[in-house]
Amino acid sequence: MHELGMARSIAAIVEEHARGRPIKGVRVAIGPRACIERGALAFCWDIVTDKTVLAGATLGFIDAEGDTFTVRDFEIREEA
Amino acid sequence: MCGVCGCADPKSEVSMTNVDTGATQLLRASGQSLADAHAFAHAQGLPHDYLHDDQHAHSHDHHHAHDHSHYGHSHDHPHDHAHSHDHPHAHDHSHHGHSHDHDHVLEQRPAGNHVALEAAILGKNDAIAARNRGWFEGRGVLALNFVSSPGSGKTALLEATIKALKDQVAISVIEGDQMTTNDADRIRAAGAPAIQVNTGAGCHLEADMVAEAARALNPTPGSLLLIENVGNLVCPAMFDLGEAMKIAVISTTEGEDKPLKYPHMFRAVGIVIINKMDLAPHVGFDEAACRANIATVNPKAEIIEVSARTGANFGAWTARLQSLLAEAKARF
Repeated sequence: MHELGMARSIAAIVEEHARGRPIKGVRVAIGPRACIERGALAFCWDIVTDKTVLAGATLGFIDAEGDTFTVRDFEIREEA
Repeated sequence: MCGVCGCADPKSEVSMTNVDTGATQLLRASGQSLADAHAFAHAQGLPHDYLHDDQHAHSHDHHHAHDHSHYGHSHDHPHDHAHSHDHPHAHDHSHHGHSHDHDHVLEQRPAGNHVALEAAILGKNDAIAARNRGWFEGRGVLALNFVSSPGSGKTALLEATIKALKDQVAISVIEGDQMTTNDADRIRAAGAPAIQVNTGAGCHLEADMVAEAARALNPTPGSLLLIENVGNLVCPAMFDLGEAMKIAVISTTEGEDKPLKYPHMFRAVGIVIINKMDLAPHVGFDEAACRANIATVNPKAEIIEVSARTGANFGAWTARLQSLLAEAKARF
Protein backbone atom coordinates (compact mmCIF):
# COMPACT_ATOMS: atom_id res chain seq x y z
CA MET A 1 0.00 0.00 0.00
CA HIS A 2 0.87 3.71 -0.14
CA GLU A 3 4.58 3.25 0.72
CA LEU A 4 5.69 5.27 -2.31
CA GLY A 5 3.79 8.30 -1.05
CA MET A 6 5.27 7.73 2.41
CA ALA A 7 8.77 7.52 0.92
CA ARG A 8 8.14 10.83 -0.84
CA SER A 9 7.03 12.42 2.42
CA ILE A 10 10.16 11.19 4.20
CA ALA A 11 12.36 12.52 1.39
CA ALA A 12 10.58 15.88 1.47
CA ILE A 13 11.03 16.20 5.24
CA VAL A 14 14.73 15.28 5.11
CA GLU A 15 15.47 17.51 2.12
CA GLU A 16 13.86 20.44 3.88
CA HIS A 17 15.94 19.95 7.01
CA ALA A 18 19.15 18.98 5.22
CA ARG A 19 19.32 22.39 3.54
CA GLY A 20 21.58 21.17 0.77
CA ARG A 21 24.00 19.15 2.88
CA PRO A 22 24.75 15.64 1.58
CA ILE A 23 22.93 12.91 3.50
CA LYS A 24 24.47 9.58 4.41
CA GLY A 25 21.48 7.93 6.03
CA VAL A 26 17.99 8.47 7.39
CA ARG A 27 16.26 6.54 10.17
CA VAL A 28 12.53 6.25 10.60
CA ALA A 29 10.76 5.02 13.72
CA ILE A 30 7.89 2.63 12.96
CA GLY A 31 5.42 1.17 15.43
CA PRO A 32 3.67 -2.17 14.96
CA ARG A 33 0.36 -0.43 14.26
CA ALA A 34 1.68 2.11 11.76
CA CYS A 35 0.50 0.03 8.75
CA ILE A 36 3.91 0.33 7.13
CA GLU A 37 5.57 -2.52 5.29
CA ARG A 38 9.30 -2.00 5.70
CA GLY A 39 10.38 -3.96 2.66
CA ALA A 40 8.03 -1.97 0.46
CA LEU A 41 9.19 1.31 2.01
CA ALA A 42 12.85 0.45 1.40
CA PHE A 43 12.04 -0.47 -2.20
CA CYS A 44 10.22 2.82 -2.72
CA TRP A 45 12.95 4.83 -0.98
CA ASP A 46 15.47 3.84 -3.63
CA ILE A 47 13.07 4.84 -6.41
CA VAL A 48 12.15 8.16 -4.83
CA THR A 49 15.72 9.24 -4.03
CA ASP A 50 17.26 8.12 -7.32
CA LYS A 51 18.92 11.05 -9.11
CA THR A 52 18.06 13.46 -6.27
CA VAL A 53 20.21 15.08 -3.58
CA LEU A 54 19.30 12.09 -1.40
CA ALA A 55 20.61 9.51 -3.88
CA GLY A 56 22.62 6.86 -2.05
CA ALA A 57 21.27 7.79 1.39
CA THR A 58 20.40 4.66 3.34
CA LEU A 59 17.03 4.16 5.01
CA GLY A 60 17.17 2.57 8.45
CA PHE A 61 14.36 1.42 10.72
CA ILE A 62 13.93 1.76 14.47
CA ASP A 63 11.27 -0.18 16.35
CA ALA A 64 8.84 2.13 18.10
CA GLU A 65 5.55 1.88 19.97
CA GLY A 66 1.95 1.91 18.78
CA ASP A 67 1.26 3.75 15.55
CA THR A 68 4.44 5.85 15.62
CA PHE A 69 5.65 6.78 12.16
CA THR A 70 8.28 9.50 12.27
CA VAL A 71 11.59 10.51 10.77
CA ARG A 72 13.78 9.95 13.84
CA ASP A 73 17.03 11.44 12.56
CA PHE A 74 19.41 11.68 9.66
CA GLU A 75 23.18 11.69 9.26
CA ILE A 76 25.14 14.18 7.23
CA ARG A 77 27.88 12.76 5.05
CA GLU A 78 31.32 14.20 5.66
CA GLU A 79 32.73 15.78 2.57
CA ALA A 80 36.18 14.42 1.72
CA MET B 1 5.41 1.73 -9.75
CA CYS B 2 5.26 1.03 -6.05
CA GLY B 3 5.42 -2.69 -6.68
CA VAL B 4 2.99 -3.25 -3.81
CA CYS B 5 -0.24 -1.75 -5.00
CA GLY B 6 0.82 0.91 -7.48
CA CYS B 7 -0.98 3.44 -5.33
CA ALA B 8 1.28 6.36 -6.08
CA ASP B 9 2.06 6.11 -9.74
CA PRO B 10 3.90 9.33 -10.62
CA LYS B 11 1.74 9.67 -13.71
CA SER B 12 -1.31 9.82 -11.50
CA GLU B 13 -3.36 12.98 -11.30
CA VAL B 14 -5.89 13.83 -8.61
CA SER B 15 -8.93 15.77 -9.72
CA MET B 16 -12.28 16.91 -8.39
CA THR B 17 -15.53 17.11 -10.35
CA ASN B 18 -18.67 18.96 -9.38
CA VAL B 19 -21.38 16.82 -10.97
CA ASP B 20 -23.90 19.67 -10.71
CA THR B 21 -21.86 21.98 -12.90
CA GLY B 22 -19.64 19.45 -14.66
CA ALA B 23 -16.61 21.56 -13.71
CA THR B 24 -13.41 19.61 -13.12
CA GLN B 25 -10.46 20.99 -11.19
CA LEU B 26 -7.01 19.47 -10.90
CA LEU B 27 -5.95 19.03 -7.25
CA ARG B 28 -2.54 17.48 -7.85
CA ALA B 29 -0.59 17.39 -11.04
CA SER B 30 1.20 14.35 -12.32
CA GLY B 31 3.89 13.06 -9.99
CA GLN B 32 2.99 15.37 -7.15
CA SER B 33 2.60 14.48 -3.51
CA LEU B 34 1.01 16.42 -0.70
CA ALA B 35 4.44 17.83 0.08
CA ASP B 36 4.40 19.61 -3.27
CA ALA B 37 0.79 20.72 -3.13
CA HIS B 38 1.61 24.16 -1.78
CA ALA B 39 3.57 25.26 -4.81
CA PHE B 40 0.96 23.71 -7.03
CA ALA B 41 -1.83 25.60 -5.32
CA HIS B 42 0.05 28.82 -6.09
CA ALA B 43 0.64 27.82 -9.68
CA GLN B 44 -3.04 27.03 -10.18
CA GLY B 45 -4.28 30.05 -8.28
CA LEU B 46 -6.28 27.76 -6.02
CA PRO B 47 -7.45 28.77 -2.59
CA HIS B 48 -4.79 27.41 -0.32
CA ASP B 49 -4.74 29.13 3.03
CA TYR B 50 -4.83 25.79 4.81
CA LEU B 51 -1.70 24.76 2.96
CA HIS B 52 -0.05 28.09 3.42
CA ASP B 53 -0.02 28.16 7.21
CA ASP B 54 1.69 24.86 7.29
CA GLN B 55 4.60 26.02 5.23
CA HIS B 56 5.50 28.66 7.78
CA ALA B 57 5.02 26.62 10.89
CA HIS B 58 8.54 25.30 11.24
CA SER B 59 11.13 27.88 10.39
CA HIS B 60 12.76 28.34 13.78
CA ASP B 61 15.73 26.55 15.21
CA HIS B 62 15.30 24.64 18.41
CA HIS B 63 17.54 22.47 20.50
CA HIS B 64 15.13 19.65 21.17
CA ALA B 65 13.15 17.36 18.98
CA HIS B 66 9.80 17.13 20.72
CA ASP B 67 7.60 14.24 19.88
CA HIS B 68 4.02 15.34 20.28
CA SER B 69 2.57 12.04 19.27
CA HIS B 70 -0.59 11.41 21.28
CA TYR B 71 -1.73 8.32 19.41
CA GLY B 72 -4.26 9.60 16.98
CA HIS B 73 -3.79 13.30 16.52
CA SER B 74 -0.13 13.94 16.14
CA HIS B 75 0.84 17.56 15.89
CA ASP B 76 3.55 18.20 13.43
CA HIS B 77 6.05 20.71 14.74
CA PRO B 78 9.27 19.61 13.16
CA HIS B 79 11.68 21.85 14.99
CA ASP B 80 14.81 22.29 13.00
CA HIS B 81 17.74 20.75 14.76
CA ALA B 82 20.28 21.32 12.09
CA HIS B 83 22.83 23.55 13.74
CA SER B 84 25.64 21.97 15.70
CA HIS B 85 25.59 22.18 19.47
CA ASP B 86 26.83 20.26 22.46
CA HIS B 87 23.67 18.62 23.65
CA PRO B 88 23.89 15.07 22.41
CA HIS B 89 20.46 13.61 23.31
CA ALA B 90 17.32 13.23 21.31
CA HIS B 91 14.55 13.45 23.89
CA ASP B 92 11.60 11.35 23.04
CA HIS B 93 8.67 12.62 25.08
CA SER B 94 6.60 9.56 24.48
CA HIS B 95 3.48 9.46 26.64
CA HIS B 96 4.21 5.90 27.59
CA GLY B 97 5.92 5.81 30.92
CA HIS B 98 8.09 8.76 29.94
CA SER B 99 10.47 6.51 28.07
CA HIS B 100 13.77 8.21 27.54
CA ASP B 101 14.50 6.89 24.14
CA HIS B 102 18.08 7.54 23.18
CA ASP B 103 20.13 4.71 21.84
CA HIS B 104 23.46 6.59 22.06
CA VAL B 105 23.77 6.83 18.32
CA LEU B 106 24.85 10.42 18.59
CA GLU B 107 27.60 9.56 21.02
CA GLN B 108 28.91 6.83 18.78
CA ARG B 109 29.32 8.99 15.73
CA PRO B 110 31.34 12.09 15.00
CA ALA B 111 29.70 15.10 16.62
CA GLY B 112 27.74 17.41 14.38
CA ASN B 113 26.93 14.82 11.74
CA HIS B 114 23.75 13.49 13.23
CA VAL B 115 20.58 15.49 13.21
CA ALA B 116 17.69 14.43 15.42
CA LEU B 117 14.33 15.24 13.95
CA GLU B 118 11.31 13.24 15.12
CA ALA B 119 9.09 14.63 12.38
CA ALA B 120 5.73 12.97 11.87
CA ILE B 121 5.69 11.59 8.34
CA LEU B 122 1.94 12.04 8.06
CA GLY B 123 2.22 15.43 9.79
CA LYS B 124 1.13 17.49 6.81
CA ASN B 125 -1.98 15.39 6.27
CA ASP B 126 -2.74 15.43 9.99
CA ALA B 127 -2.35 19.23 10.15
CA ILE B 128 -4.80 19.73 7.28
CA ALA B 129 -7.17 17.16 8.82
CA ALA B 130 -7.11 19.09 12.10
CA ARG B 131 -8.04 22.24 10.22
CA ASN B 132 -10.87 20.41 8.44
CA ARG B 133 -12.13 19.17 11.79
CA GLY B 134 -12.17 22.69 13.19
CA TRP B 135 -13.92 23.98 10.08
CA PHE B 136 -16.62 21.29 10.36
CA GLU B 137 -17.08 21.74 14.11
CA GLY B 138 -17.18 25.52 13.76
CA ARG B 139 -20.09 25.18 11.36
CA GLY B 140 -21.85 22.40 13.25
CA VAL B 141 -21.36 20.10 10.25
CA LEU B 142 -21.25 16.38 11.03
CA ALA B 143 -18.62 14.84 8.76
CA LEU B 144 -18.51 11.05 8.52
CA ASN B 145 -15.89 9.00 6.66
CA PHE B 146 -17.30 5.76 5.18
CA VAL B 147 -14.75 3.05 4.57
CA SER B 148 -15.14 -0.45 3.19
CA SER B 149 -13.95 -2.82 0.53
CA PRO B 150 -15.27 -2.17 -3.00
CA GLY B 151 -18.77 -3.50 -3.51
CA SER B 152 -19.96 -3.57 0.10
CA GLY B 153 -22.73 -1.14 -0.76
CA LYS B 154 -21.40 2.18 0.51
CA THR B 155 -23.00 4.15 -2.29
CA ALA B 156 -26.29 2.26 -1.99
CA LEU B 157 -26.24 2.97 1.75
CA LEU B 158 -25.71 6.69 1.11
CA GLU B 159 -28.44 6.76 -1.56
CA ALA B 160 -30.91 5.16 0.84
CA THR B 161 -29.80 7.50 3.64
CA ILE B 162 -30.34 10.56 1.46
CA LYS B 163 -33.78 9.37 0.39
CA ALA B 164 -34.76 8.70 4.01
CA LEU B 165 -33.46 11.94 5.53
CA LYS B 166 -33.26 14.62 2.85
CA ASP B 167 -36.50 16.29 3.90
CA GLN B 168 -35.24 16.59 7.49
CA VAL B 169 -31.58 17.51 7.13
CA ALA B 170 -29.31 18.98 4.47
CA ILE B 171 -26.88 16.34 3.18
CA SER B 172 -23.88 16.74 0.91
CA VAL B 173 -21.49 14.05 -0.24
CA ILE B 174 -17.82 13.74 -1.19
CA GLU B 175 -17.19 10.67 -3.32
CA GLY B 176 -13.73 9.14 -3.63
CA ASP B 177 -12.85 6.76 -6.44
CA GLN B 178 -9.84 6.24 -8.62
CA MET B 179 -11.79 6.93 -11.79
CA THR B 180 -15.31 7.88 -13.03
CA THR B 181 -18.01 10.14 -11.64
CA ASN B 182 -20.48 7.23 -11.45
CA ASP B 183 -20.97 7.41 -7.69
CA ALA B 184 -21.38 11.20 -7.55
CA ASP B 185 -23.92 10.91 -10.38
CA ARG B 186 -25.86 8.35 -8.34
CA ILE B 187 -25.77 10.59 -5.25
CA ARG B 188 -26.97 13.57 -7.26
CA ALA B 189 -29.80 11.49 -8.68
CA ALA B 190 -30.74 10.53 -5.10
CA GLY B 191 -31.15 14.21 -4.33
CA ALA B 192 -27.95 15.51 -2.70
CA PRO B 193 -25.14 17.73 -4.00
CA ALA B 194 -21.97 15.71 -4.57
CA ILE B 195 -18.33 16.28 -5.45
CA GLN B 196 -16.42 13.44 -7.02
CA VAL B 197 -12.72 13.24 -6.17
CA ASN B 198 -10.77 11.04 -8.56
CA THR B 199 -7.57 9.89 -6.93
CA GLY B 200 -6.05 8.49 -10.12
CA ALA B 201 -3.84 5.67 -8.91
CA GLY B 202 -4.24 6.77 -5.28
CA CYS B 203 -5.84 4.23 -3.00
CA HIS B 204 -7.38 6.58 -0.43
CA LEU B 205 -8.63 10.12 0.14
CA GLU B 206 -6.30 12.58 1.87
CA ALA B 207 -7.19 15.60 3.99
CA ASP B 208 -6.31 18.24 1.38
CA MET B 209 -8.69 16.63 -1.14
CA VAL B 210 -11.50 16.76 1.42
CA ALA B 211 -10.63 20.38 2.24
CA GLU B 212 -11.01 21.43 -1.40
CA ALA B 213 -14.15 19.37 -1.94
CA ALA B 214 -15.76 20.69 1.27
CA ARG B 215 -14.94 24.24 0.22
CA ALA B 216 -16.69 23.65 -3.09
CA LEU B 217 -19.73 22.00 -1.47
CA ASN B 218 -19.96 24.65 1.24
CA PRO B 219 -22.17 22.57 3.57
CA THR B 220 -24.73 24.54 5.55
CA PRO B 221 -24.52 24.72 9.36
CA GLY B 222 -26.19 21.77 11.03
CA SER B 223 -25.89 19.60 7.93
CA LEU B 224 -24.45 16.16 7.24
CA LEU B 225 -21.32 15.73 5.14
CA LEU B 226 -20.94 12.12 4.08
CA ILE B 227 -17.51 11.19 2.74
CA GLU B 228 -17.30 7.95 0.80
CA ASN B 229 -13.67 6.89 0.79
CA VAL B 230 -12.02 4.85 -1.95
CA GLY B 231 -13.07 1.21 -1.60
CA ASN B 232 -10.08 -0.21 0.26
CA LEU B 233 -9.77 -1.68 3.74
CA VAL B 234 -6.06 -0.87 4.12
CA CYS B 235 -4.80 2.64 3.39
CA PRO B 236 -7.82 4.82 4.33
CA ALA B 237 -7.27 3.77 7.96
CA MET B 238 -4.05 5.80 8.06
CA PHE B 239 -5.34 9.09 6.70
CA ASP B 240 -7.32 11.35 8.98
CA LEU B 241 -9.64 13.53 6.91
CA GLY B 242 -10.98 15.60 9.79
CA GLU B 243 -14.15 13.53 10.11
CA ALA B 244 -16.07 13.19 13.38
CA MET B 245 -16.09 9.42 12.95
CA LYS B 246 -15.08 6.67 10.56
CA ILE B 247 -17.82 4.17 9.78
CA ALA B 248 -17.05 0.80 8.22
CA VAL B 249 -19.48 -0.95 5.92
CA ILE B 250 -19.15 -4.71 5.63
CA SER B 251 -21.55 -6.85 3.61
CA THR B 252 -22.83 -10.34 4.26
CA THR B 253 -21.35 -11.57 0.97
CA GLU B 254 -17.78 -10.75 1.99
CA GLY B 255 -17.18 -13.32 4.69
CA GLU B 256 -17.28 -12.91 8.44
CA ASP B 257 -13.52 -12.71 8.89
CA LYS B 258 -12.92 -9.32 7.23
CA PRO B 259 -12.41 -7.60 10.62
CA LEU B 260 -9.69 -10.12 11.51
CA LYS B 261 -8.02 -9.76 8.11
CA TYR B 262 -8.04 -5.94 8.19
CA PRO B 263 -7.83 -5.08 11.91
CA HIS B 264 -6.32 -1.60 11.46
CA MET B 265 -9.41 -0.41 9.66
CA PHE B 266 -11.94 -1.97 11.99
CA ARG B 267 -10.03 -0.63 14.98
CA ALA B 268 -10.30 2.90 13.58
CA VAL B 269 -14.09 3.03 13.28
CA GLY B 270 -16.88 3.93 15.71
CA ILE B 271 -19.68 2.08 13.92
CA VAL B 272 -19.74 -1.02 11.72
CA ILE B 273 -22.72 -1.32 9.40
CA ILE B 274 -23.40 -4.85 8.20
CA ASN B 275 -25.09 -4.38 4.84
CA LYS B 276 -26.94 -6.77 2.48
CA MET B 277 -28.69 -8.53 5.37
CA ASP B 278 -31.38 -9.56 2.86
CA LEU B 279 -28.77 -11.87 1.30
CA ALA B 280 -27.63 -13.38 4.61
CA PRO B 281 -29.69 -16.58 4.35
CA HIS B 282 -28.56 -17.18 0.76
CA VAL B 283 -24.84 -16.90 1.41
CA GLY B 284 -24.69 -18.69 4.77
CA PHE B 285 -23.68 -15.54 6.65
CA ASP B 286 -22.73 -16.35 10.24
CA GLU B 287 -23.91 -13.26 12.08
CA ALA B 288 -22.65 -14.35 15.50
CA ALA B 289 -19.16 -15.02 14.11
CA CYS B 290 -19.09 -11.66 12.33
CA ARG B 291 -20.10 -9.80 15.51
CA ALA B 292 -17.52 -11.74 17.53
CA ASN B 293 -14.79 -10.88 15.01
CA ILE B 294 -15.65 -7.19 15.09
CA ALA B 295 -15.64 -7.28 18.90
CA THR B 296 -12.26 -9.01 18.90
CA VAL B 297 -10.52 -6.15 17.08
CA ASN B 298 -12.73 -3.31 18.34
CA PRO B 299 -14.83 -4.03 21.43
CA LYS B 300 -16.25 -0.49 21.40
CA ALA B 301 -17.61 -0.56 17.85
CA GLU B 302 -21.37 -0.28 17.54
CA ILE B 303 -22.87 -2.73 15.06
CA ILE B 304 -25.94 -1.95 12.94
CA GLU B 305 -27.34 -4.51 10.51
CA VAL B 306 -29.29 -3.24 7.54
CA SER B 307 -30.26 -3.90 3.98
CA ALA B 308 -29.80 -0.70 1.99
CA ARG B 309 -31.60 -2.36 -0.94
CA THR B 310 -34.76 -3.57 0.84
CA GLY B 311 -34.70 -1.00 3.64
CA ALA B 312 -34.79 -3.71 6.33
CA ASN B 313 -33.82 -2.26 9.73
CA PHE B 314 -32.77 0.95 7.97
CA GLY B 315 -34.56 3.00 10.63
CA ALA B 316 -32.00 1.84 13.21
CA TRP B 317 -29.24 3.40 11.11
CA THR B 318 -31.02 6.66 10.35
CA ALA B 319 -32.00 7.04 14.01
CA ARG B 320 -28.37 6.61 15.04
CA LEU B 321 -27.30 9.11 12.41
CA GLN B 322 -29.79 11.64 13.71
CA SER B 323 -28.56 11.17 17.26
CA LEU B 324 -24.98 11.78 16.07
CA LEU B 325 -26.15 14.91 14.31
CA ALA B 326 -27.96 16.10 17.44
CA GLU B 327 -24.70 15.62 19.40
CA ALA B 328 -22.78 17.63 16.81
CA LYS B 329 -25.34 20.43 16.93
CA ALA B 330 -25.28 20.43 20.73
CA ARG B 331 -21.52 21.02 20.64
CA PHE B 332 -21.91 23.74 18.01
